[in-house]
Amino acid sequence: MTTAAVDYTRELPVVEGKPHAAELDAAIAAPLDQFPTRTWWISIAVTLTMLSFGVFCIAVTVFEGLGVWGINQPVAWGFDIVNFVFWVGIGHAGTLISAILFLLRQRWRTGIARFAEAMTIFAVMCAGLFPLLHTGRPWLPIYLTPYPNQHGIWVNFTSPLLWDVFAVSTYLTVSAVFWYLGLIPDLATLRDRTTNAVKKVAYSVLSLGWRHSNRHWQHYERAYLILAGFATPLVLSVHTIVSFDFAVAVIPGWHTTIFPPYFVAGAVFSGFAMVQNVLIIVRQTFKLTHIITLDHLEKMNKVMILTGSMVGYAYAMEFFTAWYSGNQFEMFVFINRALGPYAWAYWTMVSCNVIFPQLFWFKKIRRSIPLMFAIGIVVNVGMWFERFVIVVTSLSRDFLPTSWGHYVPTMYDVGILIGSFGLFFTLILLFVRVLPVVSISEVKAVVEGAQPHHD
Amino acid sequence: MVEKRDDMNAPESTYWRSLKELYDGKSVSETKAHEFMSGVTDDFRIDDLGTMSRKQFLALLSASAAFAAAGCNAYRDKGDIVPYTKKPEEVTPGIADYYASTCTGCSNSCGVLVKTREGRPIKVDGNPDHPVNRGAVCPRGQASVLNLYDPSRLRSPEHGSTSGKRGAMSWETVDSEIRKRLRECVGEGKEIALLTNTLTSPTTTKLLAEFGAMFPTTRRYSYELFNDSTRRAAWESCYGTSAPPVIAWEKASVIVLLEADILGTEGNTLEQIRKFAAGRDIMTGDRFNRLYAVEGSVSLTGTNADYRLRLRPDGQLDFVLGLLNEICFVRGEARMDPEILQVASTVSLHALEKNYGLPLTVLTRLVDDLLIHRGTSIVYAGDTLSESLHVAVNYLNEILGNTELYVPGQTLLSHASLSTPAEIQALVARMKEGRVGMVIHCGTNPVYHLPPSVGYREALRSVPTSVSFADAEDETGQWCTYLLPVSHTFESWGDHSVRSGILSLQQPMISPLHGSRQVEAALLTWMSPEGSYSETVYHDYLVNRWEKEVYPRFRSRSDFSAFWLSALHDGVLEEREAEQSGRRFATAALAGVGHSGVAPQFAAGLRPNSYLGDGRYANNGWLQELPHPVSKIVWDNYAALSPATAAELGVQTSDMIEVSVGSAKQTFPVYVQPGQADRFVSIELGYGRTNAGPIGSGVGTDANILLSPASLTGARVFRDVRVKKVSGRYELVSTQEHHGLDTGPLDLKDLGTKRGIIREGTLAAYQEDPEFMVKEHKRPELFSIAKEVEYKGVKWAMAIDMNKCVGCNACVAGCNVENNVPVVGKDQVGRGREMQWIRLDRYFSGSAADPTFTHQPMLCQHCDQAPCENVCPVSATNHSPDGLNQMAYNRCVGTKYCSNNCPYKVRRFNFYNFRDFFADAYYEQDTLALLHNPEVTVRSRGVMEKCTFCVQRIMEARQHAVEQGRPVKGTDVRTACQEACPAQAIVFGDMNDPESEISRYRKHSLGYYVLEDLNVRPNVTYVAKLRNIHTEKVS
Repeated sequence: MTTAAVDYTRELPVVEGKPHAAELDAAIAAPLDQFPTRTWWISIAVTLTMLSFGVFCIAVTVFEGLGVWGINQPVAWGFDIVNFVFWVGIGHAGTLISAILFLLRQRWRTGIARFAEAMTIFAVMCAGLFPLLHTGRPWLPIYLTPYPNQHGIWVNFTSPLLWDVFAVSTYLTVSAVFWYLGLIPDLATLRDRTTNAVKKVAYSVLSLGWRHSNRHWQHYERAYLILAGFATPLVLSVHTIVSFDFAVAVIPGWHTTIFPPYFVAGAVFSGFAMVQNVLIIVRQTFKLTHIITLDHLEKMNKVMILTGSMVGYAYAMEFFTAWYSGNQFEMFVFINRALGPYAWAYWTMVSCNVIFPQLFWFKKIRRSIPLMFAIGIVVNVGMWFERFVIVVTSLSRDFLPTSWGHYVPTMYDVGILIGSFGLFFTLILLFVRVLPVVSISEVKAVVEGAQPHHD
Repeated sequence: MVEKRDDMNAPESTYWRSLKELYDGKSVSETKAHEFMSGVTDDFRIDDLGTMSRKQFLALLSASAAFAAAGCNAYRDKGDIVPYTKKPEEVTPGIADYYASTCTGCSNSCGVLVKTREGRPIKVDGNPDHPVNRGAVCPRGQASVLNLYDPSRLRSPEHGSTSGKRGAMSWETVDSEIRKRLRECVGEGKEIALLTNTLTSPTTTKLLAEFGAMFPTTRRYSYELFNDSTRRAAWESCYGTSAPPVIAWEKASVIVLLEADILGTEGNTLEQIRKFAAGRDIMTGDRFNRLYAVEGSVSLTGTNADYRLRLRPDGQLDFVLGLLNEICFVRGEARMDPEILQVASTVSLHALEKNYGLPLTVLTRLVDDLLIHRGTSIVYAGDTLSESLHVAVNYLNEILGNTELYVPGQTLLSHASLSTPAEIQALVARMKEGRVGMVIHCGTNPVYHLPPSVGYREALRSVPTSVSFADAEDETGQWCTYLLPVSHTFESWGDHSVRSGILSLQQPMISPLHGSRQVEAALLTWMSPEGSYSETVYHDYLVNRWEKEVYPRFRSRSDFSAFWLSALHDGVLEEREAEQSGRRFATAALAGVGHSGVAPQFAAGLRPNSYLGDGRYANNGWLQELPHPVSKIVWDNYAALSPATAAELGVQTSDMIEVSVGSAKQTFPVYVQPGQADRFVSIELGYGRTNAGPIGSGVGTDANILLSPASLTGARVFRDVRVKKVSGRYELVSTQEHHGLDTGPLDLKDLGTKRGIIREGTLAAYQEDPEFMVKEHKRPELFSIAKEVEYKGVKWAMAIDMNKCVGCNACVAGCNVENNVPVVGKDQVGRGREMQWIRLDRYFSGSAADPTFTHQPMLCQHCDQAPCENVCPVSATNHSPDGLNQMAYNRCVGTKYCSNNCPYKVRRFNFYNFRDFFADAYYEQDTLALLHNPEVTVRSRGVMEKCTFCVQRIMEARQHAVEQGRPVKGTDVRTACQEACPAQAIVFGDMNDPESEISRYRKHSLGYYVLEDLNVRPNVTYVAKLRNIHTEKVS
């Protein structure tokens, strides 16, 4: 892992060394074969505690009412929607890596795609909690679905919230199918390796009779390509539609056309930061540093500097547009963001999202594990605050100064956020124990020498 | 064989796809029009659904109902519902009955019309036939219905000991014990003290006199925490009668008020607001008064002034003398009587400017105005000011000829004068000496009201028998040996006369809910030698007096029974009294007028509060949660300080200060009140009760303890007050923050006008060019990309005239009662979760030291292009064909998106089931179920709600119209806020009717919409506020 010796003039090897196929199998499947380590037990104990606290807070919320949260009039959305947008954003990297990078033939994606996809699904599951919980009557979600009924009442197709329901559920479905499809060859490999009867049955059922035959591969590649094509627009659409929740509203600070691209860039930004963070831990713990290489991480850091700069550009443009519009409400909102009661949140956001990621221009930082890990965390904090700034500061001071208010989160708001992290990491910990964190079949295909060539 | 169709060449079947289509085109084309097979329609038209016959439907319906009933027998037992076996003649389920009566919430005795449903009072409105309040009723009157159903009300008499222990007892025992005791007292020669508030009822006065005659050791005492004793005393010394006249405010061109909150807390505010607003009607447009308010504290009236002069009340006598001096000596416009000459000649306008910092230009204009409008101007002093100031004011009006504005033949009556402080102190002394055998508190609470320096509570322990008539145990009842439940106003009979020539009747609409009696009935029972109580005892007494004393005065041609019933029906009788002979000002009264002069020390003013009365409404959540009209603070009183004084003391809002007056001191939270006079603390009385029930106990701070005995009937302005900062903080909670005076980078000043929320101009500009507002604010050209809905029938709209609205909150109170708006409590208001559907927004402009105020009622604007509607994912909020923005509570899932997207932030969310959440479900107890308006859904937790334009009233009007076979008219409906508004500032009706009042308002050149540029097309028009200020340059 020397930092200076990288030669960018030629394509970097995707997998370091030239591991044998069987070595790859063993390396990737190793965590599944061993009894969980002490570290794993401690980790899951922590995440389950977080999750239980979240479940407790949710139970109190459902039992008592939304009054236990900090939301009020005028700030009727608080941590709930902030967390929702945050988690949906986290869920972006997975499909981007697996679908778009796949279509673009980015071979380096193989090392990180599986994990990123899994993370996507878990993140969207976390995100999905919030729209349900944030309703005053969470026992009536059926009203949000267009079902025929004797009253002739239909859902309101002009409401972005309804689009959200469709967008997020479609995204979750397609991501899950895509992920599962990619898993099938690996499940078959695991089925073939295992000696445990229970695992054998489970992997057999899940691998759907995969026999690594040429026909299977042919169908598989087709299906994978089609799904990749199908998932690609979803990467862009989900966060676009989430941004419509705000862009379609009349509230200054929300009502802006820059939101769709800005949200997508932000989502990719935070998604990559999260993938990078978690992969750093995974590759060290499971000794996969030759498969999830430093080059991969560096590439992700490059994506982060790109998307981070896009986000920074969007922040600047928002100010410009507000000034250029000549609209006093619009101008006020942005001055208020920077100088008003929530200025601390705004400046946290700007420094985390725009200033710190610029450090990635330095190659040393880009390739330094501790520094990139720290910056990844900073980016996620910043992106969470971005949503906080958008949701809370815009609502807290809108048109009528007589109705301005202040939002202070309560223990339950924080608890549910912690709980969502608990859920996310619990699922990840379970995932690394039962399924291969790297696509075995895909990695085999990109090992140096795996492809025929004519030197 | 296929028959050839006749119309085969009809244009729609030019092309055919099969022979069948060619020859039998109709059925095919019809089938094609439906995507699916026969019987399936494309859209859900209710008419087309189902082919079930009516009989089948009913059979299935009854079967499913039977199954449901059989299956759900244990589900939530709601108690027995028993139908009438004999329907009372006047009660029809679903139809409201109205009873005219009189409100006893304060001593103004306004006429009310109480709406009852199925025999239970649910809403109080003003009696439109009552000449004083004319259909309006104040927040207190509106909310008094809640007291009727207050779960804390006593269920039966209780006996107690001086140690405070108590237990239930029967009325029979009470009767026999008290009867015996009364006779013992007379026998022993011990005093029987009867404590009442101001007596408003001639019959009660007579009854008390008879009681006194029967038990000769009886002495009657009256006190009233808020009273107009100084005004009456001054009147007495000036004119020899203690009945001051009613003022024709509507005729006044110039009004000068000295610490007189005529629109908020003093006098009959309903009448005063109506008359004041009538003098500012741009629709009739012939008169527009000019209001100068001179005050130390910021009153609601002051916020409505064209000119507001900040002056401590102790400097206000000098102010009046300065005016006299200017008018008589400097301008030589009147001759001054020698009695006051010496004093007045020393105060010039320049001195006022120099000593009190009052702007000379305004003072000069004030004097100009008074002189120009001689006879149509009025100078009026507030109840808390001293007698000599009132005398000086009376004199000023006299020399200006303003006495013409005293309404002839209408004076404020007094059946019995209030006890002097000396009399009260003598009573206490006798009680302590054991010379008082019995005290009867007729709904009074002296332990709370009288300052501790009087020592009433200690004295009460030395009285062997003490009786408290009260709704619930209070500070006095707690120490009494008998605690007797008193009937609510709506359970009692009575008559009231507080103004010459006007008699109003009070009748019960419901028989006592609990084992209560009205005071008069109990006294009558004790007066009869044995005889048991009968429900009609006081009714009979009242009727008897009316037959003997009132009926003959009217020389009615009908018999008494018809006379009585028609009086009862109308609730009020007007009687022409003989014009009083010429009033002569006794100049001798002026001899006592001296200088005031402001000392450098702090001064304090103890003011009446806006809604709680003398504290008797403390347990009423609706009133506690009504925002203070000026500060918007709820659930508390506070010490108001000017920004400069607060800075001097180093305190901010919610910090604590200790205020000492003489030896009495009390700690208060500070509220920094822009516009307050410097070094002047004003505090509202009526708070800080210790035993007012679960809602009212411990709300606010008791300031009564700062009163001196002398101030009980004297001035309430204290000089030589010491104020110091003390440690601690007490969070005051308001419904509105103080934006609008902040400077700094955000530049929040004058946002109201900058943002197009409020529009203001001067009267002069309007008179010069009535279209000036339209020219100043070009209406932007706005278009909609969607096809606009046409409203062909009735379309509901509202207009609010900001020239008339004074910001009194009566609309809020009316709306609360009409629409079952829950109480949420102080902590929830602090979190920004108040539920009121209409609110009074307050905007500041100018400096923090001396701001200008604007009040704006804000409610759902029922926008044609409502931003809330298109974001609701379930269409729970949608638009009706008659232009209402509707809420379907059943459908609402509570995403709150609508509220976020509402530019006016008028939507309210049920964060909890507030009835259950607030005060341990205090308002979810059984009796409260009777309170709710059955026409309005009680909203559950998790749903959004907001103003409906009183859709239940619209529906009722429509039902009547359908019954009568005519279309509904705009004038058929009056909303609750409109009904409640004493200023008649709210107009409601059909904007599609070009003849209607509402159309005139919508088309008025001063009419505008709030946030017009957003193109949401509101249906509430605001009429821009005109300020009647001088625009010409001073010469």
